Amino acid sequence: MIETLLIAFIKIVIVLLVLLTAVAYSVYAERRISAFIQDRLGPNRVGPFGLLQPIADVVKLVFKEAIVPRNANKPLHDLAPVISLTVALATFAVIPFGNTITLFGEEVKLIIADVNIGVLYILAFSSISVYGIALAGWSSNNKYSLMGSLRSSAQMVSYELSLGLAVVGVIMVTGSLRLDQVVMNQTNYLFGVLPAWNCFVQPIGFITFVVAAFAETNRQPFDLPEAEPELVGGFHTEYTGLKFGLFFLAEYAHMIVASAIITTLYLGGWHLPYIDMIDVSPMLMSIIGILTFVIKVTLVLLFMIVIRWTIPRFRYDQLMGLGWKVMFPMALLNIFITGLILLLLQ
Amino acid sequence: MAEHILESISLFLPEIALTVTLCVAIIADLILKERNQNVAYVVIAGLVITTIFVLRQTGLTETIFSDMVAVDPFAVFFKIVLAVSGFFIVFFSMKCRELDANKKRIGEYYMLIVAMMLGMFIMVGATNLLLMYLALELSSIASYILAGYTKRARDSAEASLKYVIYGAVSSGMLIYGVSILYGITGATDIYGVNAALQTGDFSPLALLTAGILIIAGFGYKVTVAPFHFWSPDVYEGAPITITAFLAVASKAAGFAMMIRFFKVSFIDTALLDTAGVWDIVEGFQWNIILAVMAVLTMTLGNLVAIWQNNIKRLLAYSSIAHAGYILMGLVVLTDQGIASMMLYFVMYLFMNFGAFYIAMLISNKLDTEDIEDYKGLGYRAPLVCVAMAVFLISLTGIPPTAGFIAKFYLFAAVISAGWYGLVLIAAINTVISLFYYVRIFRNMFLIEPEGDTSKIEFSLSSKILVFALLIPTIFFGVYFRDIVDLAQASVKMFGL
Amino acid sequence: MDLYAFFFYFFAVLTVGSAFVVVFSRNIIYSAFALMFTFFGVAALYVLLYADFVAVTQLLVYVGGILVLIIFGVMLTTKVFSVEMKTGTLNLLPATLFTAIIAGMLIFVFSATDWNVVPDQEWDTTVYGIGALLVNEFILPMQVAGVLLLVAMIGAVMMAARDWTKLKSK
Repeated sequence: MIETLLIAFIKIVIVLLVLLTAVAYSVYAERRISAFIQDRLGPNRVGPFGLLQPIADVVKLVFKEAIVPRNANKPLHDLAPVISLTVALATFAVIPFGNTITLFGEEVKLIIADVNIGVLYILAFSSISVYGIALAGWSSNNKYSLMGSLRSSAQMVSYELSLGLAVVGVIMVTGSLRLDQVVMNQTNYLFGVLPAWNCFVQPIGFITFVVAAFAETNRQPFDLPEAEPELVGGFHTEYTGLKFGLFFLAEYAHMIVASAIITTLYLGGWHLPYIDMIDVSPMLMSIIGILTFVIKVTLVLLFMIVIRWTIPRFRYDQLMGLGWKVMFPMALLNIFITGLILLLLQ
Repeated sequence: MAEHILESISLFLPEIALTVTLCVAIIADLILKERNQNVAYVVIAGLVITTIFVLRQTGLTETIFSDMVAVDPFAVFFKIVLAVSGFFIVFFSMKCRELDANKKRIGEYYMLIVAMMLGMFIMVGATNLLLMYLALELSSIASYILAGYTKRARDSAEASLKYVIYGAVSSGMLIYGVSILYGITGATDIYGVNAALQTGDFSPLALLTAGILIIAGFGYKVTVAPFHFWSPDVYEGAPITITAFLAVASKAAGFAMMIRFFKVSFIDTALLDTAGVWDIVEGFQWNIILAVMAVLTMTLGNLVAIWQNNIKRLLAYSSIAHAGYILMGLVVLTDQGIASMMLYFVMYLFMNFGAFYIAMLISNKLDTEDIEDYKGLGYRAPLVCVAMAVFLISLTGIPPTAGFIAKFYLFAAVISAGWYGLVLIAAINTVISLFYYVRIFRNMFLIEPEGDTSKIEFSLSSKILVFALLIPTIFFGVYFRDIVDLAQASVKMFGL
Repeated sequence: MDLYAFFFYFFAVLTVGSAFVVVFSRNIIYSAFALMFTFFGVAALYVLLYADFVAVTQLLVYVGGILVLIIFGVMLTTKVFSVEMKTGTLNLLPATLFTAIIAGMLIFVFSATDWNVVPDQEWDTTVYGIGALLVNEFILPMQVAGVLLLVAMIGAVMMAARDWTKLKSK
């Protein structure tokens, strides 16, 4: 009992540390890449290549004055960023970042919470993330904030449907709601050569999921909740200092989690194709698995960042039209086709 | 399992036909666009097919979908009643001017009527508490929306809102009662409930609580006191076609479900004798509760109806009173009682629809629902007013009309079970009801018209519809042997 | 008190406590957010009953769907920040008496009844069983629920569609 708890605790600490560092450096990556795309230099003063910039940012945010508008609802105003970040981090609990690893004679699964219904857990938590934003917008008592959070609620509710329906295709192929099963199912090969990643098995579902995931994380081209020209800063207009920092953190944490989910569901998770053809020791195999996972997540993350700086923002009605009239039928179509093929293969 | 499901589907064709009609109606509404009043014909065609499938089920006694639904004479009888009332409502709706207020949505209107019918079809056959609840909700949700169909009128919007709120509370009570019953018996199908109750191994208090909560849920649907309070407002505010549908079909389905639930769940099969008198399991004397409710319902309905000036509201209270009479059939615990309830529904369908239809015709022409405006109408529209008089006589229960036969059999069943007091109260109530029915009659015929005395002309199709309702009302009052036999033969339920 | 009981009471108190806030708070937004904790508490209780699928579905449907829409509706009302619910207390004495009687009866029933209890059992996974039941024994209720949702959706659209000019009273 105690031992299980201890192992879980260690896993949580390690994952949290890695995740928070990754969040800090994804901010750095975003700034560097945007600078590169816009033909600027970007942060390069603090440390070699500006690598210590995140630390400077954090220090700055922590020491800034925390201002709460007079007519804001103080308790909820404080609570909102916490909810945002908590939800983002909690989602990571069910994502397998590796297969198993044998440490000190003990086989440890590289996943924090090995639950039966991992896929549903992800969906449930992604639907909860809207609360942080809604709460922030409402409690600020500012029309820009409120507009931002209203937009975000509507957007998230609309895209959640396609997100969930896209995942149904994966569940049908896997026959399980366990995320480790989802990954295991992708370690096979199609026609003997192509890795059976779900992005090849479920191309329509993959596209739908990725687009919906962008919308769920409020990323460009779906970042209407904080569209600067229209809404000042959107839902976090009235936030400063550490609380603003938490929102910032939450946004990037959401991105990383979304990348991790995309990796797990569609890109084969921790599995490196063809590695099972050569003979490696189990220990090395585990480490390769973790590394593969990290690299895949990083690539997806970079993809998200590049998209942000290359594609313009949608107009609001276009966003809703896309969500309901294109993504939603596409996700349904995907389920239909998947069912049909599964029936024929039976 | 797969075979069983396929087999069940072949016995579920009426409901499937209704579902298909529903989908076709949606699509037809999209295709027809401006001419979407033609959706009515789609619905009529669907109802014809449904009726054919229902008629093919006569004589069957089966259970389908793993004891979810029973296909038995009892269900088939009620399905025919529902189908007939469905036809009438669609025909009424094609004539109703009130519905023009929301013309663009008339396609959805017909679609929702089909949805309501689907819910009621499942209600009369359901033998599983879960499915009963779902079917009840299906028909209720469709009727909430329909009650607010002419949402531009403030009454209609109010009616819809009240209906939803009270409906939500009562279905909450129902599901709470069902969950307690499940906690006691560990079964959701009513045969399982019955088997568990017959072992006698349960606490009576919990059963009583569950029973009361479930009665509250069902009682709401069939408007028996003290769960009737929503109905006058809803009946008045809803479009008159929907009011008529709620007063007849919805009540019939609700009663059918209630009869099946109480009879199957609480009957003591060991004491089931051949004469059709049954006994209930120890611990829950629900017939006494129901008797009190019946008395309350009819008295209250009749006493309040006296004071009404709005014809819709008057008919609403009158239909509450009729629910009280009908409930007596369930109190007596005999097959004779249930058969007379079923008979009552057939008669009630024609006479009540007739009264509503004529109220609607008059409202179409004169744009009034006030009984005072009926003064002298007998001279201006003789045919329609004579028909109205017949319907009102029949609703009172005076021979030689269908209403008399219905009441006669019902009272006879109650007397032969020994509930003399109950019959006495019902008889007194009948006399009271005479008062307000006669008031309409007096306004129409005994008072000279004031102001406009021109004749009111009605279209041929309206007249045909009046006769379609009038003829059975008189016919069943004179020749009733066959319909009585049919009702008595249809008492048979699956598993009993 | 073992760990299980501790968690049970913790979540039970959370559920009931936040339900009280839902009812008694005069600020509708507070009520809505308190409702979120109620739903969470219920979901946790499901987990303690080995009903993991039901628990997550509870979160997905109630917290992620229904409650978001409620909050959305509240935020769209005109005076967003100061929606004061008009909760007058009428008929205090009869209402209290009635509630007390009902509550007393229910509590008595719940404590005195010998419930039909399923023997304790550890479940590995419930999803497969639920899925099999839904397409076999319970296929009809599932389909009926589907039609029910379709009707509710069409009805909601019909009610909300903006094609009237002004409410006219008769």
